[in-house]
Amino acid sequence: MMTKKLTAFNILLTLFFLLICFVTIIPLWKVFVDSLDLRTAYGMKLWPEKFGFDGYVSVFTNPTLYHPFLISVITTAAGTLLGLILSTLGAYVLIQSGMPGRSLLSGVLLFTMIFNGGMIPTYLVINKLGLTNTLWSVILLPGLNVFNIVLMRNFFDSIPKSLFESASIDGCSPFGIFLRIVLPLSKAALAAIGLMFAVSYWNDYTNYKLYIVNSDLYNFQMKLRSIILGSDMPTAVGSATENTVKNAATMVAIIPFMILYPFCQKYFIKGVNIGAVKE
Amino acid sequence: MFMPVLVFAAIFYYAPIFGIRYAFYEYKGIKEPVFIAFKNFEKMFSMQGFRAAFRNTLVLSIVKLLLNTFMAVVLSLLLNEIISLKFKKAAQTIIYLPHFMSWVVTASVFALILSPTQAGLVNSLLTRMGILERGAEIYFLGNKSWWTPVYYIINVWKDTGWGTIIYMATLSSISPELYEAASIDGAGRFQKMGYITLPSLANTIIVVLILNLAKVMNLFESVFVLQNDAVLRQSDVLQTYIYYQTFNSGALPNYGYTTAVGLIKSMVGCILVIACNSASKKVRGSGIV
Repeated sequence: MMTKKLTAFNILLTLFFLLICFVTIIPLWKVFVDSLDLRTAYGMKLWPEKFGFDGYVSVFTNPTLYHPFLISVITTAAGTLLGLILSTLGAYVLIQSGMPGRSLLSGVLLFTMIFNGGMIPTYLVINKLGLTNTLWSVILLPGLNVFNIVLMRNFFDSIPKSLFESASIDGCSPFGIFLRIVLPLSKAALAAIGLMFAVSYWNDYTNYKLYIVNSDLYNFQMKLRSIILGSDMPTAVGSATENTVKNAATMVAIIPFMILYPFCQKYFIKGVNIGAVKE
Repeated sequence: MFMPVLVFAAIFYYAPIFGIRYAFYEYKGIKEPVFIAFKNFEKMFSMQGFRAAFRNTLVLSIVKLLLNTFMAVVLSLLLNEIISLKFKKAAQTIIYLPHFMSWVVTASVFALILSPTQAGLVNSLLTRMGILERGAEIYFLGNKSWWTPVYYIINVWKDTGWGTIIYMATLSSISPELYEAASIDGAGRFQKMGYITLPSLANTIIVVLILNLAKVMNLFESVFVLQNDAVLRQSDVLQTYIYYQTFNSGALPNYGYTTAVGLIKSMVGCILVIACNSASKKVRGSGIV
């Protein structure tokens, strides 16, 4: 009796999660299918009726789309590197318990999590520095992320202090300890936090919207947005319709991440859990 | 070693805080700022657009937060009951996925499937089921009464799965002995869920709620990419209000006025953080920051 009841529950549970997964994946699947379908009206077909790659060909043969893609790649790479440098340096200083002024420094950083100047004063500063309409604004501004410094500090805190002590007795400078002990022991945290930076740089839209007016400097998100809004359609090739091109462009924004995702999933989860330890 | 971090903090965080003084100035585009004391604030509170944006910010982000948290907790409780590890892992992988889509991509995906023609999946489905007449397709993202529920649904789709991670981590730390002891005492599946699993999540739920309450005033990108002129009254939040008033008002950008709106936004946010922090101290014995 008992086992029979359990089985019924398990079947229901499995069906429920199949449904949840279906609902999660269907919007993305629909865009994928429609990007390969050359008919004008799609309706509720979950499989392309008139199969063809013309949507993707339209996206990739258009030089105005290749360029934003490259800008996304460059700013993501540069920004992630900058973000990791600032986070590790900041976190390393914050774990120096004996250092004079440490609590002042951590106060200076943590205060920014509570109170900030807001959108317009930040815009005015960036503008005054002459960074608007340059890629510097979208690389430098998100580079300092206090939340990520705190995550990194939580991770550094788990490294045994005795390692630092014995290294400094052996004559290692603080910067040497940072390079030779802290960083090599933090590969998992570097991967986790690096990925967080990479995703936020890749997905950045707000900063571009605010600071970049010149469409030659748009990243792929900005370009995709203007395609979807219909203000900047790339010329469709062959029998691709406008909708096929929109779907294909959306897929192109997702695909690089979809390829990386299965390999990186554990680091993303680690990132959340580093935060959870001390929060 | 700390210099680079300090320089960044000074330029990108503290210089803008210094710029808050413009909230008390008339500062339009190229003209020199003129001190006008509290005039910007008087104008702000008399503006209907500001009051709507203020209310929308609070309502949209708090309802969103409660809905996402509730769904994530329910989903984690159920995930925890799955016996097959492989199936559990596969389900988790899939439900985490939308979290990584940018808001632009999310908006594109939903604009396409909610499209108000027979090409849109949802409208086409509703017509096929006989709920809608052909030609009476609903423009979900441009309809005053549909926009808000659709906004919540999109947020649940995007972030519920990701929200389960933190609860799953807590659940994995519950000692199996508790469940064994409960089984011996004759507790059923749902009794165990209600008396063991849910209470051990309580602390985590409170932490998640508190941490996120601190962010409610910052709502921007998700609204910005989903709204349009037809639903501005329903969807405008403080950050989008500031954006439009500054960069899209058709006149010279009135930096002074929008800085003042931003100041109110930051102050309410700051009060929420401090309140949450002391709530957190009471509940958990330690603050967030």
